[in-house]
Amino acid sequence: MDPIILYIVACVLVGGVLASLGVHLLPVGGAPAAMATATGVATGTVMLMLGAAMCGLFTAASVATYTSNIWLVALSGAVASWLMMGVTMLLANLLYVFGAGVVPVSGRVDMDPITKESQKEYKTPQCDGHGVPNVSFISGMIGALLGGFGGALMYFALLKYANFEPTMAGVAAMGIFVANAIIAAYNIGGTIEGFQDPKFKRLPKAILTCGIISLLSGVLVWVVANMGGLIL
Amino acid sequence: MLFAWMLLIVFLALIACMFEDLESDTGSQSNPNSQVQLAPQVGQVNRFFNKAISGEAPSYAMYCTIAGVVAYVLLSKDVNPLLAIPIGALVGEAIHVIFSVTAHVGRTAAQKRFEQPIYLDVLYGHLLPIMTHGFMATLCITAIAYIQSNIGSLSGMPALNHPFALPMLGFIWGITVGAIGSSTGDIHYGAEREFQDRPFGEGKRVVYHGKITRYADCGVRTQKDIVYFCAKYGGPVTGLTFGVIILFENWRSLVGMMLSGYLPGVQATAGSMTAIIGIGVGLVIGIALIVGNVVIVKWARKRYGPFVGE
Repeated sequence: MDPIILYIVACVLVGGVLASLGVHLLPVGGAPAAMATATGVATGTVMLMLGAAMCGLFTAASVATYTSNIWLVALSGAVASWLMMGVTMLLANLLYVFGAGVVPVSGRVDMDPITKESQKEYKTPQCDGHGVPNVSFISGMIGALLGGFGGALMYFALLKYANFEPTMAGVAAMGIFVANAIIAAYNIGGTIEGFQDPKFKRLPKAILTCGIISLLSGVLVWVVANMGGLIL
Repeated sequence: MLFAWMLLIVFLALIACMFEDLESDTGSQSNPNSQVQLAPQVGQVNRFFNKAISGEAPSYAMYCTIAGVVAYVLLSKDVNPLLAIPIGALVGEAIHVIFSVTAHVGRTAAQKRFEQPIYLDVLYGHLLPIMTHGFMATLCITAIAYIQSNIGSLSGMPALNHPFALPMLGFIWGITVGAIGSSTGDIHYGAEREFQDRPFGEGKRVVYHGKITRYADCGVRTQKDIVYFCAKYGGPVTGLTFGVIILFENWRSLVGMMLSGYLPGVQATAGSMTAIIGIGVGLVIGIALIVGNVVIVKWARKRYGPFVGE
């Protein structure tokens, strides 16, 4: 068997699973977070992850023009996503603190597992936390790093191994990424605070589902590339 | 020259994201619109513009991609970019206004059983502000996409052109600008302006949901009162978010290119080193952001103290 098939399928599989893992780590509060009623960033899971991954894809595409090292391309994409998430969460916190006057606290744990700061007495009653506390911030940064890495890995496999045209590779990588992100979003049901959230324990199911979907996508990419005459 | 173009991109990004957020406040596009939608159901008939076409990220991806495609086609017919980009943005905004009308009228009509009327002056009065704010955002994003897809040619090093086509870059930045506008900008509208008659400095409790502030400084509140308030803090901070992201992204790539000897002259052998330096600089900036968050959280805890009240 041609090793190129294995490369393509493996990269898409790993990329898809990392995308799913990344989504589970993001602190996403959805609509309630916009009213400071839930902890996390005030937007949908898929939108936030996609925003970060798109930043990663942009940088990965630039880097792929001047290096053909897969790890460097994937890491560049990961760092772009990590910066996007970091700046977004930091400035969201600025708005929470100075615009709405709330203290960032977690609603799911009584004590921040990283900084050991107590959370409970700072929380408004009848709220599920508010703002982006430190533990969620770090969890989100790790999630963006993994998600961006996965997205960039898929892009590189499509570009260099399956010989897609750059824009087409970008669109295809994004499509596979979105499929995995949506599965993960269903699994967490709208809001999650990060790895400290009890919902994070649902991860194995999503990883399995995303693994199967990514595997199918990888095979499909190979079929498209082969039938389209892209792999000679 | 390359640096000058990058700074222009950063400036355009700042403007784009600020206007994107203000447009979402003018039209009540995103997450806080859940409260506008809920208000009539708890007996709060209001004069808000109820427009939630979809999440901000997909909708802005759509307008920017339409704008990018139209601009791309016009550019391929040798139209001047100064004409092609605004025409593209205008077409994108025409679609935006069509969706705004159908979304507002459709959603409000569905609330007939809660006795929420469709105020025609609200409908007509908000379409132009929605379109102008959206036009600014789409125009800037299309301009960014144009500059990035031609940045090499513009600065005399054609090898640096971004490999993606203009519409794809419009799509990427449309998604990103929407994701940022939705995640950052909404907070000022949702957590503060929408519940301004509730106590300041606490999360908005579930019992307040739907009971939005319906009266303005003078008369009954519409979105125009909201956008004027959010333009003072929420909009600029959101613009800053996207601007800073683009700045860091481009700056670390440029630093990598400079330090590794990739520039000037585009030395292909230095490519890997460029990427490594870029990754290193990015990681350092990210760690600085984590430290920044720790400082802000610590400051807020000390300044505001534990929750007091009922």
